[in-house]
This record gives sequence, C-alpha cells and structure tokens, in this order.
Amino acid sequence: MIRAFGWGEVLFIVWALRWTLALSAIAFIGGGICGLAVALARTSTSRALRLVTTGFIRLFQGTPLLMQLFLVYFGMSIFGLGIDPWAAAAVALSLHAAAFLAEIWRGCIEAIPPGQNEAATALGLTWGSRMRYVILPQAMKIAVAPTVGFLVQLVKGTSLAAIIGFTELTRSGQIISNATFQPFLVFSLVAGLYFVICWPLSFLASRLERRLARATAR
Amino acid sequence: MSAADDRSEQPAGSAAPLIAVRMQGVSKWFGSFQALNKIDLTVRRGEKIVVCGPSGSGKSTLIRCINQLEPIQAGSIVVDDIDLGAGGKNVQRVRREVGMVFQSFNLFPHMTVMDNCILAPMKVRNAPKDEAIATARKYLARVHIPEQADKYPAQLSGGQQQRVAIARALCMNPKIMLFDEPTSALDPEMVQEVLDTMIDLAEEGMTMVCVTHEMGFARRVADRVVFMDHGEIVEVAPPEEFFERPSHERARLFLGQIQRTHKPVPE
Repeated sequence: MIRAFGWGEVLFIVWALRWTLALSAIAFIGGGICGLAVALARTSTSRALRLVTTGFIRLFQGTPLLMQLFLVYFGMSIFGLGIDPWAAAAVALSLHAAAFLAEIWRGCIEAIPPGQNEAATALGLTWGSRMRYVILPQAMKIAVAPTVGFLVQLVKGTSLAAIIGFTELTRSGQIISNATFQPFLVFSLVAGLYFVICWPLSFLASRLERRLARATAR
Repeated sequence: MSAADDRSEQPAGSAAPLIAVRMQGVSKWFGSFQALNKIDLTVRRGEKIVVCGPSGSGKSTLIRCINQLEPIQAGSIVVDDIDLGAGGKNVQRVRREVGMVFQSFNLFPHMTVMDNCILAPMKVRNAPKDEAIATARKYLARVHIPEQADKYPAQLSGGQQQRVAIARALCMNPKIMLFDEPTSALDPEMVQEVLDTMIDLAEEGMTMVCVTHEMGFARRVADRVVFMDHGEIVEVAPPEEFFERPSHERARLFLGQIQRTHKPVPE
C-alpha cells in the first residue's frame, strides 16, 4: 500500500531534525575538545607529539567521512562493543570534526606573532599560562569565523550517518520516501530543512569574517 | 677579557651575587649557520652593557640566550648564580629574575595596559591582585604614563607602548634587564622618551644589557661597550675608549657607518 504524503509525514521528517541537531552538537563538542588538544599538540615543541597528531589529521582529512563512519561502526562490533549507530556516528563524526577543527585552530594559533609567545615566556609564564592568557584568547578571535564555517560542513556531514542506520533527517526522509514513493517531494523537504539550519550559519560566518577583517585592517 | 671580569668570589654576608651574568664558551647554531661562536662575557651586578654590531652579528641572539629564549648548543650561562644548563626549574627561575624589552614591544593587544602589567606577577609570582595593581601603578608612574592604565596598547603611541613594556618587565622586580633594540621600531620623535626611561633605570642601579645603536645612550650610560661581528665578541671597552680609539678595524668601519646614518642624541 502506498501512503499519501500528508502532514503526518511532513511532521515525521521535521521531528527527525532534532537527531540531526543532537548529532551535530555532540560531534561539535567532542570534536572541539579533541580538536583543541590536537591543535595544541600540533603546535608544541615536541616532535613526537607533532608527528602523531599530524598523522591523525592527514588520515582523517585524506579519507571520506563515509569510510570513517563505516570503519568506526564495523570496528566497534569487531571489538565487541556491539552495533550501535548512535555511538558509532557520534564517535566517527567527533573524530572527523577533531581533525578538521585542529587544523583550522593550528592555523589560528600560528597566526599569532611569535613575539607574543616570546614576551610571555620572558615574563616567566609557563606553557599553560601562555596559552590560556596570551595565545588562545587572541587565536580565538581569528578562529570564530572559520569554525562556524566548518560547523555548516559538519551539519551536512551528519546526513551520511543515515547509511549506517542512524535515524536522523536524511534517514527519516528515506523512510517516508520508501513509503510514499514521492522521493522528489520528500528530499526537497529534507534539503530545505538542511538549508534552514545551514544558511543562517553560513551567513553568520561571513558576517563574522567581515567584522574580523575590519577589526584587523587597522 | 681582564682579570677583574673573572672574579667570582663574593663578599661575606652579601646575598646577591656580584656576578649577574657569566657566559663561558657559548656557541649557538641555527641549522648550519653559527650565530654565536665561543662567547665569553661577564656582567657584574649593577653594570650597564651596550652590545652593538652590524646586523646579523649575533647581538640579539646573545641577549636572547641569557633568558633562554634561544637554547645554546655549547658553553655555559650562569645568571644570578643559577646555572641555566643544570636543568630542572632553573630556566623558569632565571626568567623570573630577568626582564626583557623587545624591539616590537610585544604587548598583549587583547589586554589593557594594567592587565599587561599584572599578568605575570599574579600568575608567576602568585601576587595578590591588589598588590600587583599597586606595583603596576608605581612602575607606570615611573615611566610617566600612570593615566594610560585602562587603555589598550593599540590606543597608545609607539613610545608609550615601549614604556609600558618596560613597566611590565619591572613589575616582576627583575634583577637584570635585557633590551633588544628597544628604540629601533620607534618613530624618531619617540626615541628620546624611551631612552630617558632607560637612563632613569640605569641611574637607579639596575643591571642592564642593551642591544642598541643609540651611541649617545651608550656614551652616557654604558660601563662597557661590547662590539660583535660574525657571532664573535670583537672588542669590549669602556664607551669613551671604544668610540675614540676602537682597536679593531671592523669596529672602526662599523662606527664610521653608524655615524653617517645616526645623528648623536642630544643630552
């Protein structure tokens, strides 16, 4: 029997948006925490730390997100952690976000003139204090716009979690499409919902970028 | 180097060492380029040393080694009786006692002048905030800009920024001050206000090592002038001797070039 594409179906899809948002938030927070650690390691004076974290970043930037999802999903079941699309999607997207955010933030940290770190060092501040009070507050200002820009990529990236069976926006679209045989209509709605989330973010990112450009033009 | 430079014995009962900095056989390479070649230099407590020389001669590298902004590959540096090469927390201890002023000021642009001044005393010396603020006010008054405490560095002139940088370093109560071309990035009309601050500091008895081409300052303040070239100390002499009768050809050449481009600073 073919279901009609009515309000119930629309609501089902719109309601699935919360899982897309939740997954995005988890990946962004998890990726942010790991990404900061990786960015700090990547800019440290320890060669070993730099090599390991560079390898991590290259690996995740050089493979498709879908493969990362597959590997974490099937990897977890091989290592006896069961088959859990939620956990697999959260872990894979967090690692993915960590690699990209680390690389963005590394650039921001390195953009701070070396004299800042030297002056802080000469004052006797430890590495932790130098980062916390001198380098990171300045790097954060530069980082805001590209970070919001990456968040847009991350929100869209969560759609791939549908393939490992995580029911978010795209997956709920597939379910409704299979029941109603109205793929064009259904996926137009799904795409529209992504746009409603991502467009304001993109807009915000470019505004922040312009504001930063004005602030640093002096 | 004279025998007097090598004295290391201290008078009985004196807590502060007579020797502020002792560099022995210090060598430093950047890759295959040798920036410092077997440097021997002793700075006595209260002494003012001016280091000069052509660009690339290693003078900045020399003073950056004193607080280990640059690690050295050979030789030893002892600052205020603390051996930098002995590991442990020694580097940290030395940096607490040594203030540094940079060519490009390097104030923290996201902090007010006051916050620039109290950060290190609070985080490194664990000074209470009100005490750190009182110290900062004292030193900002001494460099003649007490009214700028709540401004951001970008709101100040170059000369004012450099005086804040000096005050910031003084807030740590350093025993030794290093100056790395402190007036080279300044507009000409602001050079004197910074030099005056440095002269005040010298007259209070601060131990100072200054990399500068301000020969008027060197004549007035320096106990000895160190002339460097190609990573070596070529000549060490009191200023009048160095400027009137430099004993090395390279020093004569350098002084000739300096005097063509730099007008002597009026007293």
